[in-house]
Amino acid sequence: MRALCWNGVNDLRVETVADPEIINPHDVILNVRLSTTCGSDLHLIDGLIPTMRAGDVLGHEFMGEIVDVGREVTKVKKGDRVVVPSFISCGKCWYCQHDLYSLCDTSHPKPELPEPLLGYPTAGIYAYSHAFGGYAGAHAQYVRVPFADTDCFKVPEGVSDEDALFISDAAPTGFMGADFCNIQRGDVIAVWGCGGVGLMAQQSAMILGAERVIAIDRYPERLAQAEAFGAITLDYTKVDVVEALKELTGGRGPDACIDAVGMEAGGTGLQQAYDRVKQALYMGTDRGAALRQAVLAVRKGGTLAILGVYGLMDKFPLGVLMNKGVTVRTAQQHGQAYVTRLLEYTQRGELTPAALATHRFSLEDSPKGYDMFKHKEDGCLRAVFMP
Amino acid sequence: MNAVEHETQLDAAARAYVTIGMPAEELRTLWQRPDIQALIWADFADLTPVADRTLDWVAHGPAGGEYRWRTETAEVGANEIRWSSLDGADVPNVGSVTFHPAPGDRGTELHLEVKFDPPGGVVGEAVSKLFHVVPREIVLKALYRFRALAVTGEIPTTNPQPAARSGSTDR
Ligand SMILES: NC(=O)c1ccc[n+]([C@@H]2O[C@H](COP(=O)([O-])OP(=O)(O)OC[C@H]3O[C@@H](n4cnc5c(N)ncnc54)[C@H](O)[C@@H]3O)[C@@H](O)[C@H]2O)c1
Ligand SMILES: [Zn+2]
Ligand SMILES: [Zn+2]
Repeated sequence: MRALCWNGVNDLRVETVADPEIINPHDVILNVRLSTTCGSDLHLIDGLIPTMRAGDVLGHEFMGEIVDVGREVTKVKKGDRVVVPSFISCGKCWYCQHDLYSLCDTSHPKPELPEPLLGYPTAGIYAYSHAFGGYAGAHAQYVRVPFADTDCFKVPEGVSDEDALFISDAAPTGFMGADFCNIQRGDVIAVWGCGGVGLMAQQSAMILGAERVIAIDRYPERLAQAEAFGAITLDYTKVDVVEALKELTGGRGPDACIDAVGMEAGGTGLQQAYDRVKQALYMGTDRGAALRQAVLAVRKGGTLAILGVYGLMDKFPLGVLMNKGVTVRTAQQHGQAYVTRLLEYTQRGELTPAALATHRFSLEDSPKGYDMFKHKEDGCLRAVFMP
Repeated sequence: MNAVEHETQLDAAARAYVTIGMPAEELRTLWQRPDIQALIWADFADLTPVADRTLDWVAHGPAGGEYRWRTETAEVGANEIRWSSLDGADVPNVGSVTFHPAPGDRGTELHLEVKFDPPGGVVGEAVSKLFHVVPREIVLKALYRFRALAVTGEIPTTNPQPAARSGSTDR
C-alpha cells in the first residue's frame, strides 16, 4: 500500500510499504477514508520528539471503513464506517474503566521505554514515536486498529466523513480541555491557540455553558474562524494579552485558561507582562510563551487546562500557580470517553468539526499538505488527505 | 535450596511491581501455565515446557550467542511462586513472584524478582553485557506483558508491523 513516511527532520515522502494485517484477536484493519494533520505532528516533523525512526508511517487522526476483523471482535464488523481516537486503549484495565483512556495500562508494546522517563508507561498511540509505542500511522491506505471493540466508534447517519475525522483527536482533545474547566454560570474561558484543538476547545466551552470565550492567536484566518464560532479574539502580536484579558473580565481574569498551543509557541512581539514575569522568575524566552501567559492571566483560584504537548520543560513558573491557588488539569486526550457524545453534538449541529478542513489533498500529495499546514499557507488550518 | 539461601541470592535482584484488577488465585493459576510463561518472556528467551514444573530457556545475545538453562519451580505457596535454574545453566538464575491483595477493589499486587548469575554461576559476565538489556528491563517487560495478557487476553505488539522501516533506529 501507499503511505506517508517520515525519513528524518522535515523529510516526508509517500512510499510503498507492506499492508497491515490482523495480529491480535481484537484487531481490525481499516480502509482509511480520510486522515488529517495535527499540531502534534509538527513536533515530530521538526525533530522535537525523540525516538522517531526512518520510515515511520505518520498520521494519528483518521476515520475509515472496516475491511477485516480479528476473531474476538464483537461490537463492530466489516463494512462499518468508524472513527478511531488517536490513543490505543484496551477498555479493560483500571485506567480505561475510569475513563482515563490515554493512560491505558496494557496497550504499549514497549513499556520499558517510557517507564524511566515518566515513572509509568502511558497508552500506545498511532504514529507518535517509538517511545509512545511505535504503532504505524494512518496516512496510508490501510491501518491496523487494536482493541476495536473499545476504539472503533460507528459514525451515525447525518455525520459526514469530515466531521467524524476530527472526532478522532482535535474535537475530543478540545472538549476534554473545556470539560477540565468545570464551567459554571458566568464563567469566562480564555483559549490560547486557534488551531484545530483550540477552536474545538472554544466551541466545546460554549456547548458546556461558558458565558464568554476569548480566543488568542496571531493568524487572521484562524482568529476569523474563532469569531465565527462566537469567540472574542485577541491577536497576541498586537495586544498585551494579559492586560487585554483583565480589561475583558473586569480585572478578575478568566475563570479558566486553556493552553492549546504547546511546545512550539510563538514568542514574537512579547508583551510587557510576559517580560515582567520572565525578569522576575529568570525564565528563558524559548517555547512555552503561551503557557506562561496563561499562568499569569488566569484568575486566582482558577483552572489551567493544558492540552498543548510539552517535553521536559525545566523552567516553569510553579510559584505563580502555587501562590494563586490555581488548579492544573492536563492529559493526552481521553477520546474514548467523549466520542459518542461528540458524535451526538455533531448530529445536532451544535459541534461543527468539519469547519477545520480547509485544504484537501490526495495521499500522494500529503507532503505538500504538511508543508502548507506547517507554514499556515493560504489560511491552511488542517490539511485532509484522501488515500 | 532453603528460604534463607534464596533470600540472600535475591539481594541484588531485578524487581518489578504491577497491580492487576483480578483475584490472586486466578493470576497464580495463569502464571503457572507454561504457554503463558513462554509468551511473557518471549522478548528475552524462547521457552519450552519439559515437564509440569520444568522449563527450558534459550536466550540469544545480540552477537548471535546462545545461552541455555533449565528452570524448575521450587515451591508453590499460597502467595508465592519460586523457581531456580538447575546445574549446568549458562546463565544461572533464581526468581519469584508474589501475589498480595491490593487495597479497595484494585485487585492484586504482584512483585516479580529475578536474580541472574547468582554466586557460583559459571558465566561471570553481566547479563546486561550478554543480552544488551539490563535485568530490570527484562523483568519489567515480562511483568507488564503478563498484566496485558491477564487483563486483555493479548500482548500489545507491533511485530511484524512496526511503524518504521525494518532495521531503522531511533533518531
Ligand atoms: N492533549 C492531547 O491529547 C493533544 C491532542 C492533539 C493535539 N495536542 C497538542 O495541542 C497543540 C495544538 O494542536 P493543533 O493541532 O491545534 O496545532 P496547530 O499548530 O494547528 O495550532 C497551534 C496554534 O497556536 C498558535 N500559537 C502559537 N504561539 C501562540 C501564542 N504564544 N499565543 C497564542 N497562540 C499561539 C499558532 O499560531 C497556531 O495557530 C499542539 O501542541 C498539539 O501537540 C494535544
Ligand atoms: Zn493529533
Ligand atoms: Zn486499558
